[in-house]
Amino acid sequence: MIGPSRVAELDMPGAAIEGSSTRPAQSYWNESWERLRANRIGMAAGILILIFALIAILAPVFSAVLTHFQPQTIDLSQTFSPPGGKHLLGTDELGRDTLTRLIWGARVTLGVALLTVAVSLTVGTAVGMTAGYYGGWLDDVLMRLVDTVLAIPAIFLFILMSILFRPTPISLALIIASVGWGQVARLVRGEVLSVKQRDFILATRSIGARHLRLMLRHLLPNVLPVLIVAASLGVGQIILIEAALDFLGLGIQPPTPSWGNQLTNAESYFFHSIWLVNFPGLLIFVTVLASNVFGNAIRDAFDPRLK
Amino acid sequence: MLAKYVARRFLASLVVVLGVTLITLVLMDRTRGTYVPGIDLNPALRPEDIARLRADLGLDRPFYVWYLTWIWGVVHGDFGRSMIDGSTVMSHILDRLPNTLELTGTAILIGIIIAIPVGVIGALRHGSKADHTLTVVSVAGFAVPQFWMGLILILIFSVTLEQHGLPWLPSSGAYSAHNGGDFIDRIEHLILPATVLSFFYMSTWSRFIRSSMLEVLSQDYIRTARAKGMSERRVVYLHGLRNALIPLVTLIGLELPGLVSGGLVVEVVFGWPGIGKLAFERALQYDYTTVMGVTFFATMLVIAGNLLADLLYGVLDPRIRYS
Repeated sequence: MIGPSRVAELDMPGAAIEGSSTRPAQSYWNESWERLRANRIGMAAGILILIFALIAILAPVFSAVLTHFQPQTIDLSQTFSPPGGKHLLGTDELGRDTLTRLIWGARVTLGVALLTVAVSLTVGTAVGMTAGYYGGWLDDVLMRLVDTVLAIPAIFLFILMSILFRPTPISLALIIASVGWGQVARLVRGEVLSVKQRDFILATRSIGARHLRLMLRHLLPNVLPVLIVAASLGVGQIILIEAALDFLGLGIQPPTPSWGNQLTNAESYFFHSIWLVNFPGLLIFVTVLASNVFGNAIRDAFDPRLK
Repeated sequence: MLAKYVARRFLASLVVVLGVTLITLVLMDRTRGTYVPGIDLNPALRPEDIARLRADLGLDRPFYVWYLTWIWGVVHGDFGRSMIDGSTVMSHILDRLPNTLELTGTAILIGIIIAIPVGVIGALRHGSKADHTLTVVSVAGFAVPQFWMGLILILIFSVTLEQHGLPWLPSSGAYSAHNGGDFIDRIEHLILPATVLSFFYMSTWSRFIRSSMLEVLSQDYIRTARAKGMSERRVVYLHGLRNALIPLVTLIGLELPGLVSGGLVVEVVFGWPGIGKLAFERALQYDYTTVMGVTFFATMLVIAGNLLADLLYGVLDPRIRYS
């Protein structure tokens, strides 16, 4: 779910710029940012996601100023009204405004994705770094645990957990992250194993740095590019999984609107109210597409040799 | 050497299998203390009835007894018993497995058949218009929600076509009851769900073949083949494609569990009576033991698939040494 595993095999991205002595010295981050900015399609995708995120954050403002409806306002005299007029994108079977529900749904979808990525990265980095740094039996135990978690087909694990834990946005994020952390841990461990061999680590150790300091101050910054790439490539997948679980009725429960659960009953209505199917689906598609395109741009910018 | 490697991999897999049983059982143990199937249907049950029901289901036994009983069942191939109808989970799996294999097998086959030429064209005409178009299609394939694509296809090919009096495709089930599900009938039911599922496989694998082919074509032995005057077709197909397909074996091996779990969402959308739909339906009924048995069954396939892909890879690519 998070990042391709081949990223792990690579050495430090910083090495790529060491050879170019003709250009003025630039930091790795500046260099990457320049490359990212030059990628127009990637930047457009990134800006689109930023706009969606802003809309999600400002959802109360939008429903007060733009749509004049609340996401859970039921109006049984206005069921299935087509797009246009008072309801820009029409209404659903309870007369709720589709646009308003989509805007509030963005909060759930993007919020869950963000939280999932954050949890996966934090736990995965901690586990992967511990395993890679200390090695030995600790490495064996932790990595067998990762193998075990990743061996269970994710969709079944999600189903099992969503019937065991009542899905709220937070528990749903934790459920999805319960698989995501394993992939991050593998990635980070591989990276740490290679960085650990380098001379500056030996030097740092020889002047008496403690383990924790070594990991946080010296290993972490070197693993960061891989993490950024993994995170940005993972967002799209997470949104798809979250939407699928919502659609199946195993994720966010109505009446809380999410993009996925707005499609749950679509099959009963799409004979006469096609907009109820089109808009949420299109929104999921565009958001995932933009996330993937932006993720690829980030990968190309931060890890140019992977291109 | 190989035998030793296989033995070690097998042992490591065994550890993972045990870990999986523990994880699923610990998860389930959280709820088994309170749940009695059917209790919500009949609030008039007396406490002693509930106690008897719980005892029948083994819910009153301590965790380790429960765990060992379950393991015993797995070893004997029943994968536990359903909490709802009491039949073995294995019988449910065997009941649904042919349908699932029919759907996912077809989709994977179509995926490979389309992905190989698409990937090769992308690599050979690297940077051309055709390459760009194919790239856009496969990038879209990663991003489109399967359930949404399924709904749209149903709307177009089942609903709209029927409304216009044109021949239409069935939108639900694996066969229709009235004409007994003959071959043509089954194919008709298969078309829409297999299309959705194969679109995803096609997107993944065509990108993979494209980059694998690009890498192979830049190898020295390709230059050598060209230098000795071999025809371009022989270079591309005999030397290039054959080697480019090796990594695909791993990918398809990793997809082996997808034969069972990959089509879950599609099965639900199209009402396909497969294993994924079984797990989904039973989950909604809180039939934990069935969901767990199916999950465990699918996990076994993952582990077997990984092992198989690993070994096949070594057979196909002699540069790989097991140690």
